[in-house]
Amino acid sequence: MTLNATTLREALEGLVSAHPSLAERLRDEHGRLRAHLSLFVNEENSRFLGGEDATLRDGDIVHVIPALSGG
Amino acid sequence: MGKHVVLLVGTKKGLFILRGDGARKNWAQEGPIGAPFPIHHASYDPRDGSMYATINSTWGGARIEYSRDLGKTWETSKNPAFPAGSDRTFYQTWHIEPGHAKTPNVVWAGIEPAALFKSEDRGETWELNTALDDQPSRATWNPGAGGMGLHSIAIDADDPKKMQVGISAGGVYTTTDGGASWAQDNQQRGGTEDRPDVFACIHKLLAHPAVSGVRFMRVHQDVFWREPGETTWQNRNEGLPTNFGFAAAMHPRDRATAYVIPLHDTERLAVAPGIAVFSTNDRGATWQRNDKGLPPGARLGTVREGMQTDRLDPLGVYFGTSNGQVWASRDEGKSWDVAAQYLPYVTSVHAATIE
Repeated sequence: MTLNATTLREALEGLVSAHPSLAERLRDEHGRLRAHLSLFVNEENSRFLGGEDATLRDGDIVHVIPALSGG
Repeated sequence: MGKHVVLLVGTKKGLFILRGDGARKNWAQEGPIGAPFPIHHASYDPRDGSMYATINSTWGGARIEYSRDLGKTWETSKNPAFPAGSDRTFYQTWHIEPGHAKTPNVVWAGIEPAALFKSEDRGETWELNTALDDQPSRATWNPGAGGMGLHSIAIDADDPKKMQVGISAGGVYTTTDGGASWAQDNQQRGGTEDRPDVFACIHKLLAHPAVSGVRFMRVHQDVFWREPGETTWQNRNEGLPTNFGFAAAMHPRDRATAYVIPLHDTERLAVAPGIAVFSTNDRGATWQRNDKGLPPGARLGTVREGMQTDRLDPLGVYFGTSNGQVWASRDEGKSWDVAAQYLPYVTSVHAATIE
């Protein structure tokens, strides 16, 4: 989906605003991003871009990637 | 169709539903229902026909789902959540217990990390029981091999304010005021040795559904009985082939009858001569081996939510196994037939008796 956001945090807020059922899938009850999720801006892991404060520019692509485990 | 039984079967790869015919001989299998995520427990609420399933996926975190149409469609609950400032975070749900008939709309959830949540709107939202959470003894709770969860919620047959909860590994807590206050309840009598910490790792604690004050408890080591008015747990392990197991069930009408499936204490599998359900009809004073129809020599395993009874007469007893089978007895546990096989690892079996 296309969102207007200047930071990764704003993008996630926009995503939840459009799809409220994702709120508990993305964050725990204390507002922390769920431990098994990684956020990517274009092809870079957001942890190297300032986390949720990472700046977004026009055309950036954000991926929310869950860690896969189990059988 | 008149009275019949629907089995909710939780597995490591989703929820399966087995719809029995009137004779409980043929089972129509559906599933996995929805995405094939791990199901720790699924249950049926006879008060309103709701079904609940704990979906413990790491994808997006665990959640609880409920169905108001006997499993055809499912909705997602608002997650149990610790309040702001809590040192804990909801991880997954271990057990859903419909409330007492006198408390309509109340449903209870036991979660990991071990805590009790109450819903007053048929499982749509949940609120932490803070009195249990504030127990100073919570600092002594430790995770067992399967994690640290509250998995048993035993509600008294007559008085919904009288409850016990079982925690792995934190022991038994009792309330007589509906959860406003709790007291540790771990005194035992009998057995081969005095172990004050014997109840740290509860495996399954049950309240008799018809007789106030009757309890049956499967602990990591040994099984215990409690009669009305007693304040200690009576050791009733003598006569069982091992002192270990997970699954336990009570006869819903006969107040002296219960069922267990003993396992090897480290292998978590049935011991020679193979899987069997042991029953007592004298409050655990003696135990009988029941294996007619079960595969001779099969060293199967079953887990804490793996066995339950229906509400028909003669009684139906059901259990699931680690190799993906569900076994059914229509004669009070004496003989057994396969209700389903080739399922994923079975984590829970709940028998819904549909009127």
